[in-house]
Amino acid sequence: MAEAGVAQNVPHQLSITVENASLRNNGFLKPSPYVELTVDGKSPRRTEICRTTCQPKWNEDFTVLITPQSKLFLSVLDHNNFRKDTVIGEKKIEIGELLQYYSGRLENLELTLDLLSENKGNETPTKTGELVVLLKGLSIDVANDNHVRHKSVHSMPLTPSNVENPQSRSVLNGVRGRVRSNGSENVVPVTTSLSRTSLDQSSAQPQTQPQAAVPYPQQSQPIITAVTQTPVAVTGGAPVFTGPHIGPPATVPNGNVVQNGPEESREDPLPPGWEMRYDMYGRRYYVDHNTRSTSWERPQPLPPGWEMRRDTRGRIYYVDHNARTTTWQRPNTERLQHYQQWQGQRQHIVQQGNQRFLYPTQPQITSSAGPSASPADEDDGLGPLPPGWERRVQPDGRVYYVNHKNRTTQWEDPRTQGQEVCGEADDTPLPPGWEIRYTEDNVPYFVDHNSRTTTFQDPRPGAPKGHGVYGVPRVYERSFRWKIGQFRYLCQSNALPSHIKITVSRQTLFEDSYHAIMRLPAYELRRRLYIIFKGEEGLDYGGVSREWFFLLSHEVLNPMYCLFEYANKNNYSLQINPASYVNPDHLLYFKFIGRFIAMALYHGRFIYSGFTLPFYKRMLNKKLVMKDIESIDPEFYNSLVWIKENNIDECGLELYFSVDFEVLGQVVHHELKKNGDKERVTEENKEEYITLMTEWRMTRGIEQQTKAFLDGFSEVVPLEWLKYFDERELELLLCGMQEIDVDDWQRHTIYRHYTRNSKQVIWFWQFVKQTDNEKRTRLLQFVTGTCRVPVGGFAELMGSNGPQRFCIEKVGKDTWLPRSHTCFNRLDLPPYKSYEQLVEKLNYAIEETDGFGQE
Amino acid sequence: MAATRRLQKELGDIRHSGLKSFRDIQVDESNILTWQGLIVPDSPPYNKGAFKIEINFPAEYPFKPPKINFKTKIYHPNIDEKGQVCLPIIAAENWKPATRTDQVIQTLIALVQDPDPDTPIRTDVVEEFIRDRKKFMKNAEEYTIRHALPRPEELPDTPTKKRKAKKKQV
Repeated sequence: MAEAGVAQNVPHQLSITVENASLRNNGFLKPSPYVELTVDGKSPRRTEICRTTCQPKWNEDFTVLITPQSKLFLSVLDHNNFRKDTVIGEKKIEIGELLQYYSGRLENLELTLDLLSENKGNETPTKTGELVVLLKGLSIDVANDNHVRHKSVHSMPLTPSNVENPQSRSVLNGVRGRVRSNGSENVVPVTTSLSRTSLDQSSAQPQTQPQAAVPYPQQSQPIITAVTQTPVAVTGGAPVFTGPHIGPPATVPNGNVVQNGPEESREDPLPPGWEMRYDMYGRRYYVDHNTRSTSWERPQPLPPGWEMRRDTRGRIYYVDHNARTTTWQRPNTERLQHYQQWQGQRQHIVQQGNQRFLYPTQPQITSSAGPSASPADEDDGLGPLPPGWERRVQPDGRVYYVNHKNRTTQWEDPRTQGQEVCGEADDTPLPPGWEIRYTEDNVPYFVDHNSRTTTFQDPRPGAPKGHGVYGVPRVYERSFRWKIGQFRYLCQSNALPSHIKITVSRQTLFEDSYHAIMRLPAYELRRRLYIIFKGEEGLDYGGVSREWFFLLSHEVLNPMYCLFEYANKNNYSLQINPASYVNPDHLLYFKFIGRFIAMALYHGRFIYSGFTLPFYKRMLNKKLVMKDIESIDPEFYNSLVWIKENNIDECGLELYFSVDFEVLGQVVHHELKKNGDKERVTEENKEEYITLMTEWRMTRGIEQQTKAFLDGFSEVVPLEWLKYFDERELELLLCGMQEIDVDDWQRHTIYRHYTRNSKQVIWFWQFVKQTDNEKRTRLLQFVTGTCRVPVGGFAELMGSNGPQRFCIEKVGKDTWLPRSHTCFNRLDLPPYKSYEQLVEKLNYAIEETDGFGQE
Repeated sequence: MAATRRLQKELGDIRHSGLKSFRDIQVDESNILTWQGLIVPDSPPYNKGAFKIEINFPAEYPFKPPKINFKTKIYHPNIDEKGQVCLPIIAAENWKPATRTDQVIQTLIALVQDPDPDTPIRTDVVEEFIRDRKKFMKNAEEYTIRHALPRPEELPDTPTKKRKAKKKQV
């Protein structure tokens, strides 16, 4: 092989027509196949995708350059809207062997290839279907090409088999060949391939038969034919348009809609097939003749590499050929930007996952910090661990416990799990006349025999009082532990034996997880989880599933799914996105996420980003009140408060019992009550108005989604189990606490009139690093108006006009206090003369003022 | 609908009252949520031109404040290079649903003519404004002449006389 002459390596042109395939149906869903062909592993070429069929027809021509040594690799893949496409079957052809067999002439040669697929754990690949291709236009003098002969595995006689053998015959292993007579090349012999094969689905596809007789002109644009034919084949020519899925247009005839798109470049011509019209009110709207839909938003042309398609149900979706993904949402620049940002976040996630905790880590001396530190070495006064348990230490020094009996890990010490952990005060004796006792639930309480009273409050002077971490009183924190114990007890007593395996790929995490979780009966999800990331070895003793929960919970934020959104620019909690209806499967996804969140609670794992407090209240079935609006929409709340507190009869508010909001560039109108459009809000009836507005504001556009979420949730964990907690505790339970990543903060800070090396800037970061988490949180709150760090870290900090990095600006004199501009995430830091002065002023500013610091 | 009714009334009132410093109000009939108009300051250094602004009302108006953007470049301590204004009356924390657009515009005009060095966006400009007023006036005026739009015709009613008298002084 090595001595092959250069002359033989001159590439030749070969025309390959990928005609059709007949695929074995796996019985569940029909695939959306396409063919990818590569020559010698280079420059893959691809056919269009045939939607949802086991009898795909492509009839696409490719011209490739080959040498007699080339290997032609054909692979049929199943296109998937959300995850990576999977290989249905593939076949490799040695051109040399073909040339050998056909005496160097590949002209009108029809090959039927057995498609093989590697089965997991199965040595022998199975046949998954057949692919028919037509080879043309290659003629090489094989006699002189000793390389070809040299390579040939089996020395077949060089009998040209074209004329005398109209039936296909096996030429290579798994390849049958037949030379078509001239002139018949345009007739696609689909039927031959169908009748020849005995694949189980071949006869069950009558709708593909008429197409088989349609001649395909050689030069036709296969892209168009392939795409448009599929829906026709399925719907039998009757156009089916599932209006409700399309979103904006559904409400066009409704007079309650006002165009409110941002001003776009009006001069841009409309994309092909679009038309601008005016409705009866003279308002402009856009008709898309391609999709037979209308929209208030002026269409932006699709970005390069994007294509609009229609699925077999006639629904429009968009294909991103760049990333090989699809989405229901028409892409625009803003959405793509979000997507890129979101993708960039992944690397932070696992890192942040390791920062979450529920209980403060007790200082531990990790003498021989190896992961297998023997429990006998530790003397913490609690006695030995129960049999089968092992204490381990993470690389970062954090202790966790392994239960080898059921292969679980946990942070909590099994010896004190579900109990009150006694604080430092435990060693000090109780005051005279006092006694400590325990309730049935093992909660300690204190009996004062002097006064014959009992209390849960520890009377000892050193007892934990005041505030613990995360700013809640210690007493409260302790009872929170007790509540967790109760919840855990419920979980454990309802646990099922054995485990469930969930295998996911990192690339297609969301869809893989979705299928795995929705396929199972919900109660099964209470079994121990065994998560496997494809291609990554490792036993899931807890670490892998911890990562899975974290990654997947971030995945729900993928803007292309459009399921959740941030509550607002200054609140990075998640809430259901009213625009999620753009995704036809959104309710199923919400059900899935409900199950998933319940699993996180059940299995004691943290998720990446929490929900809004009102959302937790909704989970707890608590009534939402006006005050709840504040955390998700402070502006709206303030206005409502103003209306409540002021006499509105005199100030021309022009309010009626109706309201608008905007979703996907479309303004949705809602009457708060019957004939609300006609009823003016007055001082008399404003209480009713406020109540109705509150209810509407908290549920607008998300009722069905919320219900689907709660349905999914309660299938795994009954909502009643949550009753121990209030909404804040629920958030802590689900998200854990977050340390602020100071390095990330510093990395994504910009400076004005300072540099990163200015004295004051260095002092500032020295202060931030030396202070505690609570102070950091308050400083962050002082400057940005929020104590939550965005999902993507400080790189994603938002101001009132979009992304706005944390900024430190030199302003004023050293006698001034620092000031902040929360709408610009900016700290005005005067040029202080010393570190001490900076600390003093900064402390004063965060403690004493909010917002614009005053002198 | 909800916002439309209120905005139609406000727009009618503003057009009727004929503000001399806010002119050429243009509202696309298909979208009453976006207004455009010319700010025509009558004191130096901005009285050599007119400045186009755009007011965008949210669908939830008057529960949410409008946003104002300068479409014409202006050299001003409170208006940044992108045309963003930090106008307290429409800041989230100050907004009241009873605030009317004509008040907002009056406040804006006041801010343009009388910069507020305490709430600057452009610190370079505010520094110059505080330290070297003459230089600031010169820069701002040159900037106005170079970038601002031509001023519309004077209104043919009483304010005109005052304007003319003032102009002579300049």
